Amino acid sequence: MIDSTDTSTNNENQQRDLGFCAIVTFVALIATWLLLMPWVQGIAKLSLQRFHIRTPSFAVWAAQFPIPSMYNFANQYKVEEFPPGFVMMILDENWRYANHFPARVITFFAGRYDFLSTQEDRWFTLKSSYRGQVLESKFHLEAQAKGGYKLFRIDDVEESL
Amino acid sequence: MSKITQNSQRLTAGNIDRPLAAFRVVQATILISLFWKWEFFLQANSIYANIPIEDQFFPDWLRSVTTIRYAFWGSALVTGIGLITSISPLRKTCSWLGIGGISLMCIHQGSYNDMTFVTIWWCCLWSVWLAHRLDRDQKELLSRRAAFLSRLIISLVLLGGAAGKWTPEYWSGEVLYDIYFVDRDFWIFNYLRDNYEPAELQQFAKWYSRQVVVVETVSGLGLWLLPARWAALVSVMVLSGIVILSNKYLVSVVACLIGLACVGFFVPRRPRNTVVLRQPKPETAETV
Repeated sequence: MIDSTDTSTNNENQQRDLGFCAIVTFVALIATWLLLMPWVQGIAKLSLQRFHIRTPSFAVWAAQFPIPSMYNFANQYKVEEFPPGFVMMILDENWRYANHFPARVITFFAGRYDFLSTQEDRWFTLKSSYRGQVLESKFHLEAQAKGGYKLFRIDDVEESL
Repeated sequence: MSKITQNSQRLTAGNIDRPLAAFRVVQATILISLFWKWEFFLQANSIYANIPIEDQFFPDWLRSVTTIRYAFWGSALVTGIGLITSISPLRKTCSWLGIGGISLMCIHQGSYNDMTFVTIWWCCLWSVWLAHRLDRDQKELLSRRAAFLSRLIISLVLLGGAAGKWTPEYWSGEVLYDIYFVDRDFWIFNYLRDNYEPAELQQFAKWYSRQVVVVETVSGLGLWLLPARWAALVSVMVLSGIVILSNKYLVSVVACLIGLACVGFFVPRRPRNTVVLRQPKPETAETV
């Protein structure tokens, strides 16, 4: 079991180690956050929004980056050639799962190459669920004449948080 | 002679500065993690320049490919310098620059989603702390604290993975079935696809997924409580198992954590049957 000499923050031979205390406290805070996530809806909601890049502000989103989230939540995505409402000509009819941060299919290099190389408009739908809470987001990637895309978040989103 | 002094002499006799050696191992594995992303960097460098995505959520400079170039190369450079230098102020400066560069990677539009940079960031945080303690603290105690922090961080990373999987879609295996078993090109999944029917694969996926949830949960909650060397051994086994049974891309995520886990091996063994002699209390008027 844990040895008290591993965690003592000062003794006769040591100067006080505030950095050690700060890191232990920081880890404890994040662990508490993670352990509360299944039971506190607000934490799960903020985490799901983080995954869809839909946090109210960039600062709040960025502040969460140290929270480890490997393969969190059941994240799905689909990509379409036409706006929501058109049923035909769907590029990928089936939802596919993404390991974490499903918005990666838009922003990360592999997703950009796979879905945005054609320089044509695309519509992405992301859906993440966690213990009965679901967040669905739609994005329009509008091709720009100068090259690249402009991202629009479509307001018509479904939440059951 | 106090126990601390005895151990201190043993460390000196072995001529190994264990905390510094541990620091260097972690820097080396951070470099392995970074350069395992070499293909990512090359492709991202080209794709992000050719297919920019304008999104007002991110500040312009955190969408720029130039930022990724500087952050990636800068972090690699300062980590390399931190690895080899014996100049303490330079080591400290490099550790701060390293965590700065990796922080940028963690919030950049083109790399925020990659857990490699999050695990490296935690290793950098540990490195910043240790770089500032190397020439101040008694070596054995510093080794023990460094190992404690390392297993605390690894526990947190595994707990982070576990907490997000405490949901029915993971317990049923549905998520990992689609991600790994349907079409992932990796030895174990290729073998299973070649030899079993889809219905059987779903059963494999269910138990595979449950195994992942249980291992991450148990490790996340309990690893930090283990003695240093046991924690190091268990961590290396669990982290290696994640790579061997999942996919090669996870090498970049866990390589630096394996380095961090190895810090536990640098904690000196406690001598068996050590007798710590208490100094007799000086006599006082009350005891006379």
